[in-house]
Amino acid sequence: MVRLEYIKKQYTRTRRVHGNWYLASYQYKFNVKRINQCLEHLRKGELVGLKCRSCNTVSFPPRLICPKCLKMPDEWVHLRDTATVATFSGTYAQEAGDTEPRPYPVVAIRQDGSDTTWLANLPEGYDFFKVYVGMPLKVKWAEDKKGDFSDIEYYEPIEDPSIEMNKKEEAEK
Amino acid sequence: MGVQPAIVSAGFSEHASKRSDVNMAELMNEAIEDALNKCNCTIDDIDCVINGNMPAFEGANIPELWMTDHIGAKNKPFMRVTTGGTTGGSVAIAAYYAVASGLYDTVLATSFEQQSCGSTTVGLSSVALGEVSIYLQLGYDFEKLRRNMGAGAAIGIGAYQAINYMRRSHCTEEDLARVVVQNRHNAAKNWWTHLKMPNITIEQILETPYISYPLRFGMVTPASDGSCAMIYTTEENAKKFTDTPVYVNGVASVSNENAIVAPEASGCGQIDPCEQLSATISAKLAYEQAGISFPEKEIDYVEVYSPFPNQEFMWLERLGLFEENTAPMQYREGVTALDGDLPVNCSGGVNSTNAIGASAMERVAEAALQIMGKAGNQSPKEIHTAIGHGWGGTINLITLSVLADQPRRKYKGGI
Amino acid sequence: MEKVGIVGYYQVKPETDIQMSRPEMIFYAARGALDYAGLKRDDLTTVISATNDYYDGKTISNCFTVEAGGAYLKDESKVEMDGAHAVNYGLMRCLSGHHKLALVWGASQPSTFYYSCIRVLENDPTFDRPINLLNDYTAAALGMRAYMNKFGVSVEDIAKVGVKNHKNAAKNPLAWNEAQLPDITVEDILNSEMLSNPVTKLMHALPCDGATALVLAPEGLAKKIIDDPVWITGVGLCQETYYLGDRDLSISVSMEKAAQKAYKLAGINDPRKDIDVVELFEHSAYEELVLAEALGLCEKGKGSSLSSEINGEIPINPSGGNIGAFTPCATGITRIIEAVKQIQGEAKGYQVKDANRAIAHGQIGFCAQNNIVFILEGGKR
Ligand SMILES: [Zn+2]
Repeated sequence: MVRLEYIKKQYTRTRRVHGNWYLASYQYKFNVKRINQCLEHLRKGELVGLKCRSCNTVSFPPRLICPKCLKMPDEWVHLRDTATVATFSGTYAQEAGDTEPRPYPVVAIRQDGSDTTWLANLPEGYDFFKVYVGMPLKVKWAEDKKGDFSDIEYYEPIEDPSIEMNKKEEAEK
Repeated sequence: MGVQPAIVSAGFSEHASKRSDVNMAELMNEAIEDALNKCNCTIDDIDCVINGNMPAFEGANIPELWMTDHIGAKNKPFMRVTTGGTTGGSVAIAAYYAVASGLYDTVLATSFEQQSCGSTTVGLSSVALGEVSIYLQLGYDFEKLRRNMGAGAAIGIGAYQAINYMRRSHCTEEDLARVVVQNRHNAAKNWWTHLKMPNITIEQILETPYISYPLRFGMVTPASDGSCAMIYTTEENAKKFTDTPVYVNGVASVSNENAIVAPEASGCGQIDPCEQLSATISAKLAYEQAGISFPEKEIDYVEVYSPFPNQEFMWLERLGLFEENTAPMQYREGVTALDGDLPVNCSGGVNSTNAIGASAMERVAEAALQIMGKAGNQSPKEIHTAIGHGWGGTINLITLSVLADQPRRKYKGGI
Repeated sequence: MEKVGIVGYYQVKPETDIQMSRPEMIFYAARGALDYAGLKRDDLTTVISATNDYYDGKTISNCFTVEAGGAYLKDESKVEMDGAHAVNYGLMRCLSGHHKLALVWGASQPSTFYYSCIRVLENDPTFDRPINLLNDYTAAALGMRAYMNKFGVSVEDIAKVGVKNHKNAAKNPLAWNEAQLPDITVEDILNSEMLSNPVTKLMHALPCDGATALVLAPEGLAKKIIDDPVWITGVGLCQETYYLGDRDLSISVSMEKAAQKAYKLAGINDPRKDIDVVELFEHSAYEELVLAEALGLCEKGKGSSLSSEINGEIPINPSGGNIGAFTPCATGITRIIEAVKQIQGEAKGYQVKDANRAIAHGQIGFCAQNNIVFILEGGKR
C-alpha cells in the first residue's frame, strides 16, 4: 500500500469559525400526469416508451422532452421485455454479512426497442465478474404489481447466442 | 466583426488538501497577485472581472458579492459563470467573449475552490438529489438505489468510461497506472501542484485497493484547495503588457445529454459513455475557428482534464490528436512525456491537483504558460499551438480553448 | 457597439405554485421564444442560461436542463446571476462574430424552497452569517431608512410606488395573480404585514415561479428573421462593494456607473429627453426611486415627485415591475421583454404612447449591489 505524501504545513495565521451548512430542504416537482401512463402499463406487465414523432427516438423510462427536436414526444410505443447491458461498474462496498469489501455490479441497461439507458438491477448477489458490455437480459416481473418501477424486480441474464457463435468460429479456425 | 483576444498572464495559488491559512477571498487573491506580477499590468488596468466556482462545495451562494474588494471588482463590471467541473474553462471562455465582443478591453478571469470549507461529498451528492427523490417516489428500492448512485457519482462515471474504453482498446490496468505515474512525476516538478510523488512506480499504484472497478485508490484525483487567475486583453494592449502574448484563436463549450438517468426531461441517451460526442463537436468548432485542419500535426502541447487516467486516453483521441484506440500505445512509447513529441499535462494534470472550480482554467493557463515559456515544468520542445480542455457536469459538458503564439488567420466562419 | 436584435421572446405566466416541473417550465419558455421567431432548434448556435444551484437545489443545475433548454450539442454556458446578466453574455457572444443566434433563458421555482432562507447563503460566511441579522428584508429596511432620512422622504411617498406597481400589474395579464391589485391604496400598503420596519409586505417583491426566454441575433440576421426587431444599442454593468456600512445606501454608485457606460454606447446625452419608458428590477419599492435617480431621470431625492405613471412623463415599470412578478433569475429577462413589448406596441392594456427608446435593468445582491442596464431601441423615428 502506497503512503500518499501530502504537503503538510503549520497554519497559525487564522482561526476557524463554526458555521452549519444546510443545503436547505427542497420540494422538487415532477410531472406525474405523463409518467402515470407508463406506470399503468407496468401494473399490467407491459413496457412502454415515448416516441418522438419527428426524429423517431424512443425513450425508456419515458422522457418528457426530446432534446434533438425540442418537442414533447406524445406517442406511446410497446417495448419487448429483453434488454442489453450498455455499460457497467462495480462499487466496492462492505454490506452486512460481508467479511471483506466486495464488488456489487451496477449496470446501465438499454431496453430493446428504446434509444436510452437507465440504471437497473441484476439478481441479488449476481457475480460482478460475469457481467460484460452487450450482455442480454430479460425482465423479471414482481409477483404483486404496485404500478411503479418496483414491478420490474430485476433483469435476469439470459443465454447469449453470440458466445456460442464465437466459439464455433474459433473451432472452425 | 470581433476583436482578437490574447492572454498576457496566468497565475496560481499554492494547492493543498487543506489551505487552512487563508479564506476563500485570500486564496483567490494569491492567484491574482501572481498573475499581475507576471506582466506589466496593474489592477487599475482591469476593465471587467469574471469569476466562478462550484458554490455547493463551500456552502456560499454567489460568494463574489462579499469578495468584491478582494478580487479587485469594486466599481467594475463583474460577471459570475459556473458550469460545474468545467467552471474554469467556462470562465476563460466568458473572458474571451468579453474581449472579443469589444465591450471590455482587459478582463481578469478568476476561479477558485476551497473544498476544505465544506463537504465535497454533500456537494456532489446533491447533483442527483432531485432525481433520486423522484426515483424513490416512483417505487425504487432505497438500498439498491443507494448502491447504484454510489457508482454513479463522479468516480463511478469515470469507471463506466474506463470499462467501455478498455473494452474498445484492450488497454490494461498497467496502461492506466502508467498515465498516473507520468502525471505524478510531472506534478513533482511544478511548484503549485498538490500530489507531488517523484518516485512512484506502476507497481506501487497497482498495489492500492479498488475504489470502483477498474479504478484504484492510487489512480484517482485528490480534492484540493486552490485558485487560478488569467488576464485577457486585446491584441494591441497585449504588446504593452508583455513580450510574450498568447493568442486565443478558438473556443467552444458544447454540452451533451445529461448522463444521470432521470425520469424527468433529462436522462441517459448516451449508450456508450466514452463516445463523447460533445468533445468531438467542441474540437470541430474550436479548430475551425482557429484555422486548424490537422490537429495531430499542428498542435504541439495538450492539457486535458482527466481526473481518471482512462480519460486522458479518451480525450486525446476524441480531440483528434491520436487515432482511435492508439493512445495507450503512444504512452508506452513515451510520445506524451515531457520531452516527447506531444507533451501532455506537464503540469501534472487534474490527476494530481483538483481544485474543482479552478481545474479547467488551470488547463488553459498552463497551456498559455507553456507557449510563453514560463511554465513551472517547461517542456524543452518549442511550442507554438496548444489546447486547454475541460470536462464537467455529468460527463456531458466540455470546454476547449485553442491557444497559439500567432493571431489567427482571418476567420471566415460565423455570419 | 454594433446593434444586436431581439427577435423572439416568451414568458411563462408566473404563479405561486406552478403546476409544471422545472424542465417542463423551461421547455415552454425556450420553445415559445423559438416559435415567436419562427425558428427551429437547429438554427440556434448558442444557449445561455440563468439559474442558481441553490435556487434549484441541484449542484451543476445547468447540466439537467440541457435537453429542456434546447442546448443539446450546442455551445452552452450558464451565468449564475440575474437573467439580465445572461443576456449580456449572449450579447457578447453575438458581438464576437462566432455566433449568429443565441437563446437566453432564466428560470426558478421558489415554491420548492424557502427563498429568504437561501438568500442568507449570499452573506459573508464568517461575519454576517453567524450574526444572522442581515437578510432580504433587513437589507431593504436599512436602505429604505437611509434614503428616507437623507432626503426627507415620507413612508407614504414610497408606498405610492407600491400602489403604482400593483395597479400596473393588474393591467398586465402576465403579472403574478397575487400582485394584481387594481384597487389598492397607500393605507393598504402601510397596513399590510410588517416584514422589517419600515418595509411592509406589499412594498416588497415576493418570489413566485416562472421562466422567461429570449432570442438574440446580430444586426444582419435579425432583420431577416422578423420585420421589427428591437435593438440593444447599449449595455452597462457595475458591481459595488458588499458591506452595507461601506456604502451610501441612499444612492446607487454602481447603477450610476452602469448607466453612464450604457448611455455612452447608445449615444444618449440627456436621458430625461431621450428615454421613453423604463423597466426596473426593484426588490423593494424604495429601490425604484434610488435607481431612477441614479439613471439620471431626476435629481437626487426627487424620485418620488417624478411622474412615472403609464401616461406620465417618464413611465417606470408600466408592466408592474418586479413587485408585479418576481421570478428569481428570470426577472431580468422579463424586464427586457416588457421593454421590447412597449417599443413594439404589443403591451396591450398598459401600452405607453410612442415608446421608441427604453431602459431595462437587472440586479443582484443586497440593496442592488450589482446592476446592469440595457438601452433598447425600436426602428421607428
Ligand atoms: Zn425528436
